[in-house]
Amino acid sequence: MSEIEIESRNLDLWYGSAQALKNISMAMPEKKVTAIIGPSGCGKSTFIRCINRMNDLVKDCRITGELLFEGTDIYGNSVDAVELRKKIGMVFQKPNPFPMSIYDNVAYGPRVHGLRNKEELDRIVEGSLKASALWNEVGDILDRSAVDLSGGQQQRLCIARTLAVKPKVILFDEPCSALDPISTAKIEDLINTLKHEYTIVIVTHNMQQAARVSDHTAFFLLGELVEFGKTKQIFELPEKKSTEDYITGRFG
Amino acid sequence: MTSLISPATSDRAAKVMLWVSASISILTLMFILGYIVVQGIPVLTLSFLLESPRLSGAEGGILPAIVGTLCLLLVALLSAVPIGIGAAIYLAEYAHEGAVTRIISFGVECLAGIPSIVIGLFGYAFLVIYLGFGFSIISGGLALMFMILPWVVRVSEESLKAVPGGLREASLALGATKWQTVSRVVLPSAVPGITTGVILGIGKAIGETAVIMFTAGSSLLMPTSLFDPVRALPYHLYILASEGISDPMAYGSSVVLLVMVLVINLAAVAIQRHYGRHHVRN
Repeated sequence: MSEIEIESRNLDLWYGSAQALKNISMAMPEKKVTAIIGPSGCGKSTFIRCINRMNDLVKDCRITGELLFEGTDIYGNSVDAVELRKKIGMVFQKPNPFPMSIYDNVAYGPRVHGLRNKEELDRIVEGSLKASALWNEVGDILDRSAVDLSGGQQQRLCIARTLAVKPKVILFDEPCSALDPISTAKIEDLINTLKHEYTIVIVTHNMQQAARVSDHTAFFLLGELVEFGKTKQIFELPEKKSTEDYITGRFG
Repeated sequence: MTSLISPATSDRAAKVMLWVSASISILTLMFILGYIVVQGIPVLTLSFLLESPRLSGAEGGILPAIVGTLCLLLVALLSAVPIGIGAAIYLAEYAHEGAVTRIISFGVECLAGIPSIVIGLFGYAFLVIYLGFGFSIISGGLALMFMILPWVVRVSEESLKAVPGGLREASLALGATKWQTVSRVVLPSAVPGITTGVILGIGKAIGETAVIMFTAGSSLLMPTSLFDPVRALPYHLYILASEGISDPMAYGSSVVLLVMVLVINLAAVAIQRHYGRHHVRN
C-alpha cells in the first residue's frame, strides 16, 4: 500500500445555508488514480475543488473538518492557496486554453513563478507537451494560437500546461465530458501513463471511464460518500445497495 | 375582426418602410460628409495643413489647431485610460458586488450624464483658476478626461466581465496570483473591448467644444509646453464660422477634423485585429 497523499476527515461544506458535502472521510494514495463517481449534483466536483482551494473564489462557501495534503491541513492558517496550487494542479471540464500561442500557454505557469531563462522554458515546454502526448501534433506550430486546436488537443494542452508547473497531484474535473470518444481514449491513456509520476483524482460521470482508469473509486450521492474502495471491488462487489443501483445504471 | 390589409401586403409595406429608414440613415451621413468635403476641398492644400493662421484664420493654415487638438487628446487619454481601466479592474475583478460597487457605478453614470458645458465651467473654476493651470493644454486635457472617463470605465468593466471565468480559474489553478491572472490573462483578453471604449471616448473628446473653450483657451500660436494655451480644431471652426471670418476655412477645418476621427478609428480596428487574433472567430 502506498503512502496517503490527500486525506479528508469529516469534511463538511456549505454554500450559504445549503450543505453540499456531508462528513466526507476518505484517503487518496500517492501515485494512484482515485475516481469519484456519482450523479449530477452529488458534490463530486465540489469535493475536488476543495483540494486545490478553488472554492475560495465562491462567495459564502464555508468548510469544516480537515483536508490534509502531505499531512498538512489545506485550510490551515499557514497555507497559502497560491503556493498550494503549484503542487496541486487542475484540469477542467471545458478545455480552457489561454488566448495565446501554444508555447505561451505551456510556459505560463513557469513564467508566473519567475522563470525567465529561455532554454529552460523551451525544455519545460517540450517536455510537458511530450508528456501530454501532444508534441508530435504541435511541435512545429508552437507559435500558433492555442484556440485553433481541436477540443481534444486543447484539453491535452491544458494537461501539458498543468505538468509544466511540476505538481505532485493533478485533479481532473470531468476532463472528457466535452470530448469525442477518440479524444477521450487519448486522455484516458494519458492518465494511465501519468499515474506513475503523479497522484491523480478524477471526477467523472462516466462509470466505464472510472473502471478503466482508476485504482480506487468513491461513490458520492447527495453530498455524502456512500462507498469508497478498490475500483474492482466497487464495480464487482459493492457493499451498498445504492452503489450497486448506480453502477448498474438503475439511476443517475 | 378581419384586417383590411392582407398579411402579404403588410409584409411588403413593412419591408419598404424599413428600407426607407435604413436609407435615410445612410443618406444623412453621406449628405453631411459630401457637403462638407465639397465645401472644404478648395482650401485643402498642403500649406493649409502646415502653416499657422494669419488674419485670425481668414488666411494661412491650421497647424497650431491640429497640434493643439492632438495635445489635448494625448493628455486626456494618458490620464483617462490608466485611471479608467484601473477603476474598471477594481469594479470587475476585486470589489464584491454590493453597496460600494453600486454607488461607484451610479456615480460613473452620473458623471457620463453631466452636460459638457458644466464640465467646462467646473474645469475653468478648478483647473484654470484654483489649481492655477491657466488656459492651457493641461487644463483642457484634464477637463476632457473628466468627460471621457465614464466611457472608459463602463466599457472596460463590461469587457472585463465578458472574459470567460474558465480563463481565470485556469490561471489561478496554475498557482498564479490574482494580479498575475488579471494582468496577464484577463486584461489582454479584454483589450479589443477596452479599445472600443477608448475610441468612443476619443470620438467624444475630439469634437468637444464647450469643455475646452473654458479651459484650453483660444490661442492661435504654436504651443511649446503643456502650460501653453491652445485653440482646438472644433473651437477654431466655431470661431471661423460664428464670427464670419471665413466659411471655406471653417469647412476645410471640418474635413481635417473628420479625417482625424477616421484615422483614429482605423487605428482602433488595427489594435482590435492584433489583440483579437487568438480569439475563436465565430
